[in-house]
Amino acid sequence: MLLEKIKEALSSLYEEIQAAPETPAAPEAEVKAAEEAAPEPQAAEGETVQEEVKDEEPSAPPGPKETDYKTKGYHLDVELEPGKVGAAVEILNRENFFLEAITGVDWIEAQQLEVVYDFNNFTELCRVVVRARLDRSNPEIPTISHIYQGANWHERETHDFFGIVFTGHPNLEPLLLPEDADFHPLLKDFKA
Amino acid sequence: MGTQDVQPPIIHFASLDKILSLGRANSLWPMTFGLACCAIEMMATGASRFDLARFGAEVFRPSPRQCDVMIVAGTISKKMEPAVKTLYDQMPEPKWVIAMGNCAISGGPFVFEGQYGIVEGADKFLPVDIYIPGCPPRPEALIEGILELEEKVTGFRRWPRVEAK
Amino acid sequence: MNGLLQQDVNQETFTLNLGPQHPATHGVLRVKLVMDGEYIVEAEPVLGYIHRMHEKMGENRTWAQFLPNCGRMDYLGALSYNHGYVAAVERAAGIEVPERAEYLRVITVELNRISSHLLWFGAFVLDLGGFTPLLYAFDDREQILDLLEAVTGSRLTYCYFRFGGVYNDVEDSFISGTRAFIKRLRERLPMYDALVTKNIILIKRLQDIGPISKDMVRRYGATGPVARGSGIPFDVRKHEPYSVYSEFDFDIPVYQEGDSMARYMVRMDEMVQSMRIIEQALDKLPDGPVMAKKPPKIVKPEKGDYYHAVEAARGSFGVRIVSDGTNQAYRLKLRSPTFSNLSLFGEACRGMLLPDALALMGSLDLVIPEIDR
Repeated sequence: MLLEKIKEALSSLYEEIQAAPETPAAPEAEVKAAEEAAPEPQAAEGETVQEEVKDEEPSAPPGPKETDYKTKGYHLDVELEPGKVGAAVEILNRENFFLEAITGVDWIEAQQLEVVYDFNNFTELCRVVVRARLDRSNPEIPTISHIYQGANWHERETHDFFGIVFTGHPNLEPLLLPEDADFHPLLKDFKA
Repeated sequence: MGTQDVQPPIIHFASLDKILSLGRANSLWPMTFGLACCAIEMMATGASRFDLARFGAEVFRPSPRQCDVMIVAGTISKKMEPAVKTLYDQMPEPKWVIAMGNCAISGGPFVFEGQYGIVEGADKFLPVDIYIPGCPPRPEALIEGILELEEKVTGFRRWPRVEAK
Repeated sequence: MNGLLQQDVNQETFTLNLGPQHPATHGVLRVKLVMDGEYIVEAEPVLGYIHRMHEKMGENRTWAQFLPNCGRMDYLGALSYNHGYVAAVERAAGIEVPERAEYLRVITVELNRISSHLLWFGAFVLDLGGFTPLLYAFDDREQILDLLEAVTGSRLTYCYFRFGGVYNDVEDSFISGTRAFIKRLRERLPMYDALVTKNIILIKRLQDIGPISKDMVRRYGATGPVARGSGIPFDVRKHEPYSVYSEFDFDIPVYQEGDSMARYMVRMDEMVQSMRIIEQALDKLPDGPVMAKKPPKIVKPEKGDYYHAVEAARGSFGVRIVSDGTNQAYRLKLRSPTFSNLSLFGEACRGMLLPDALALMGSLDLVIPEIDR
């Protein structure tokens, strides 16, 4: 099943995030045990790692989340660090996904800007949503227009509306606003 | 003819003026200037059912140099405004402007507090002669607008008025 | 475009501006062309001349107040846009739609699709130089507009759907009128076929012009007839069935060549398939209410984000809603199919003659206000 394959491929991106704050000497098997949250016969060491994870993140462990398609409209929700988005997109490109849309959301109370990528597949129904949260005062994220050329225009539009800078983009000029526009209208504190 | 700066002729020929204005009214050539949804109703007016050729106005010219009337059909965005002004300036005299649709009259449904992108009406920077309300106005409304323009050009109404019963 | 400004003295290219006022660009689209004689070296579409702030209005209006906007984005296929937005909000708020309303939605959307394709057909052949098919196509289209006006009240920018159903039931005259119209159109389409499709001039203008490969379609995210003309059998109605499309028996026309002729044939065949769907829907139309029993007076979806896609006349139209539990959207993203379809124009028209590039642009079926939103 495509969904399982993608989920497994994308969870590999989360291992690095998990391994870093934990004890660097811990072997990979224990880190995987902490992720899966399934008890493995690793006796005391596995349990301590699990406890550490539980202390830091009492909610669900990070990783690609399967969502209920009937209510949400997509299958997989992947929240990543901005730097990891490129690797996730490369995985999706290898599996012949296509990019539907890129957009931004302004979470002004949390002082963050979120970039949301929607992916879909021509052959088998599997919608994947990749997200990344950026700092509102300096929103930068590497571009994916070298992987998907369609992202070129989507990123320009998101830059127009939110001011998110896609580093490495060939020409980040205004697409929908006038060429000399210096405002970003969809920010919540935008005044005309 | 609106607020154009045309030098009045030194000698007036009354009946010649009348014939000239009749000729102008009978063959108003519009410019293909559909911006948005109203453009489709303009095309429908020029097409088979609501034939605009009956009134001599079916020759939609793309070049402004060959047009008499600019039908502003659609929303004018701030990015497009200089282009519209340039096109209007390129038209030779005598020229008229019809504002078709709510967007060309006053911004239409896209006026909200904090709007940043559109010009609220064509008459903010163009001298408009006829306003045709509607979103989009029916082809019959556009025909009525053109007949009103003919009345403005010739000075008398040449076609029957539609009576509301 | 920065690289092109530093031109070699020996280079003999010039920059030509196509639009924003142009008879063939179907709206206000500007294309900056760098030409070598009649051949295009580089093309860059410039957008934004009809940017009407729909997404900002989504945040400033309540969920129901945004409904008129849906008709003005893609005015030729306004009902599919209505459908996409209404279905997304219904998915988010958990509103059930009665069956009769779903069938009416399908019938009106498919009628709208036929009228959109008819107008595309007329305007496309007009771009290529033939004026007469436009008049015939508009004649057929006016009949559809009469039918839809009796039901919805508008000719062009419909606002017929509501959260929980549709607002007006149809009368018997609509059903008999639709059947009569389908019968009439079935007899007219062979005339279009014989006079236009098999016309040697059209064939020479369209065959092998503007080839778009499968890989290009995937890299740019193009959907709709552009993808189906390049051999990718992707149609949202079959891929992820929504509403009651799974109950109808229809085919998806797919052509492998990827040139403008393939996209043309896809749309002509789609009209036939739409007529099939309408006939089946009319036969199966159930009785019942057209509006949900207790539609919420004020729609307030749960917090979170939701996505819904429908098959518009031009491709897959997606609506992404981010709701914060109030009666206004926090963020409303409208994924327009023509946006992705046009983005491949810059790469696809390299090295083509200018008239061929216009044939390619016409075969992409552009509606610019849908791109600029």
